[in-house]
Amino acid sequence: MFRIIQKSLKTGIVTGNYPAPTKSERPVPDAVRKKASVFGRSLAIREVDTGSCNGCEMEMNALMNPVYDAERFGIHIAASPRHADALVVTGPVTVNMEKALKDVHAATPDPKLVIALGDCACDCGIFKGSYAVTGPVERHIPVDVKISGCPPRPSEILNALKKLQGRKP
Amino acid sequence: MDRDERIESVKKAFGAKILGADRVRGIPVVTAAKQDIPAIASHMHRASDLRGTLSLQWAVDLRPRLAAYRIYYLFTLSGGPWLMLQTELYGEDRLFPSITPRIHAAKWYEREIRDMFGLIAEGHPDLRRLVRHEHWPKGTHPLKKDFSWNHVMGRQDGEYHFRQIEGEGVFEVPVGPIHAGIIEPGHFRFSVAGEPIMQLEVRHFWKHRGVEKLFENLTWAEGVSLAEKVSGDTSFGHSLCYCQAAESLLGIEVPPRANYLRSLFLELERLHNHIGDVGAICNDAAYALALAHCGRMKERIMQINDSLTGSRFLRGLNRVGGLSIDLPSDQLDAAALALKKIEEDFTDLSKIIFNNASLTDRLETTGILKERTARDHGVMGVVGRASNIDRDVRRDHPFAAYDRLRFKVPIYRYGDVRARLRVRVDEVHESMDLIRQALENLPVGPITNAALPAPQPGDWALSAVEGWRGEILYFVMAGEEGKIHRCKVRDPSFVIWPAIQFAVLGNIIPDFPLINKSFNLSYAGTDL
Ligand code: SF4
Repeated sequence: MFRIIQKSLKTGIVTGNYPAPTKSERPVPDAVRKKASVFGRSLAIREVDTGSCNGCEMEMNALMNPVYDAERFGIHIAASPRHADALVVTGPVTVNMEKALKDVHAATPDPKLVIALGDCACDCGIFKGSYAVTGPVERHIPVDVKISGCPPRPSEILNALKKLQGRKP
Repeated sequence: MDRDERIESVKKAFGAKILGADRVRGIPVVTAAKQDIPAIASHMHRASDLRGTLSLQWAVDLRPRLAAYRIYYLFTLSGGPWLMLQTELYGEDRLFPSITPRIHAAKWYEREIRDMFGLIAEGHPDLRRLVRHEHWPKGTHPLKKDFSWNHVMGRQDGEYHFRQIEGEGVFEVPVGPIHAGIIEPGHFRFSVAGEPIMQLEVRHFWKHRGVEKLFENLTWAEGVSLAEKVSGDTSFGHSLCYCQAAESLLGIEVPPRANYLRSLFLELERLHNHIGDVGAICNDAAYALALAHCGRMKERIMQINDSLTGSRFLRGLNRVGGLSIDLPSDQLDAAALALKKIEEDFTDLSKIIFNNASLTDRLETTGILKERTARDHGVMGVVGRASNIDRDVRRDHPFAAYDRLRFKVPIYRYGDVRARLRVRVDEVHESMDLIRQALENLPVGPITNAALPAPQPGDWALSAVEGWRGEILYFVMAGEEGKIHRCKVRDPSFVIWPAIQFAVLGNIIPDFPLINKSFNLSYAGTDL
């Protein structure tokens, strides 16, 4: 026990210890802002991987670590689409994941937001045109926000989400 | 045993059945007619002087040069050397004899070959589709040369039949493809009676993106960026393996400084993944404290990656011939200092972790992968080393600067979650030490060897890298006009996934996430 307390004291607070993002996100269109406003200052996210290389997943996971701690902005990860306000979709939508994506979208209660995360989700990236890919995401479900990057840094994702919530960056 | 002795051993046993024996870039290759393959493969697997593990089996469509398919078998013999076997199917011949009844490790490879090439392994006990899900139209075999990379696929109806156990009180629990956390998609079908798992069937390839086909559109230099995206968490390991294969094929010598830096970056990648995994394994046993600490350490290392190279995933660094950027020594020194702090930090934390009795209780004897099962599947890497399989490419086939660096390969016998955790913790310390050594001995000089010569169409090369999960393999064959004819990618996950089906038996479903996390395999790297 003593060791654990000592460790915590020695570590101190690490939240916010990251370089500010250099890339500025596109402004959120008014219509999307309005749609997002019903969720107030909390946002339950369901992450759906439709064929990413898992780089985008790693950065989404990083959002939850103590350094970025997205929970302090009311952003949390829901275990089921039924509990979600927003879907974060990564990957170029493979032939095998197309149906699962549509099912998840249908299972998410309205009103809902869809965020395409990473170059693959935005325009299929390097996988564009492949026989096994049917994306991008917006070909199958309506997309409200696009966050580009391969992968976008966690600080950039966090900024984009905060902007969506109407918070200052 | 020297290389020729290996060929001699096979020749002695099979005489005139061996149609050819050659050495390609140091690798002995034996050629035989297809009907003799099972006996010869079985000999390579079982003979006491060879004891080969099937490390990879793959096919190549040789058109347009030759109207034939070639099937390759790669064995890793005890102690690490390679031995290859090959056969060809001519004209309209679509059948080859399966070796799966004799060599278990071939089972997914032969199903994959069927899906991708339409070549059927006769006598294979399970010829269900693997990569192609049921809605792919019949006759869709993407790696055939007459299938275009951007073909628009139709759909058909179809249903996948899971293996079923019947009996009183047996029920099935389907999980996935979309899971509760931020994880990749895959489907797990459990059969349980009461609590213990009686059977697990893993169904993958949801993320199949056509990576191997996409390689065939690219030139050697362009391939690097695709290799980085095979499995994002192993960006550097995959791009390194690809580059090494291409360099060996093109006959490019990589300058020493680049070799040292490559080792350094590969260890950095191992560090952030291993530390992240240690936290995540503990978290799945409900010990969130470790996750918080490991999460911040992992983040720190990724920030170091970013400040050194401009990429948290070490992307854009490798290029065929060396590296694309050099690092000034003051930056490297600063990174070394930061890593030293992290190592102390991690040492403290591992004491806390291993002193926690209730955590140990969850980890010990959970998800045991028996050594025998691991061997039958050809398992290696972190998971293998926790089940007493003493393999490490860095030692057995030294690449980059590993022949000039010293390190230990941690081996544990029990094969449970705790052993897999221990291997990772030990490897964190070894990696820190490797980075220190690489920095101390870092030579000065150029970091890349510029010109890319054009290889002879049909030439091939093979390369292996010990990524943080285990052995990554790339096979590349040159095509016309400086393009890639074939690039076979093998992430260690492809090999280890089937083994997890055995490690969970007798455990309860609530322990599955913990067991799965202790394997931490890549879905993207498997599905390609
Ligand atoms: S955008 Fe980049 S990091 Fe994200 S899934 Fe695609 S290739 Fe991977």
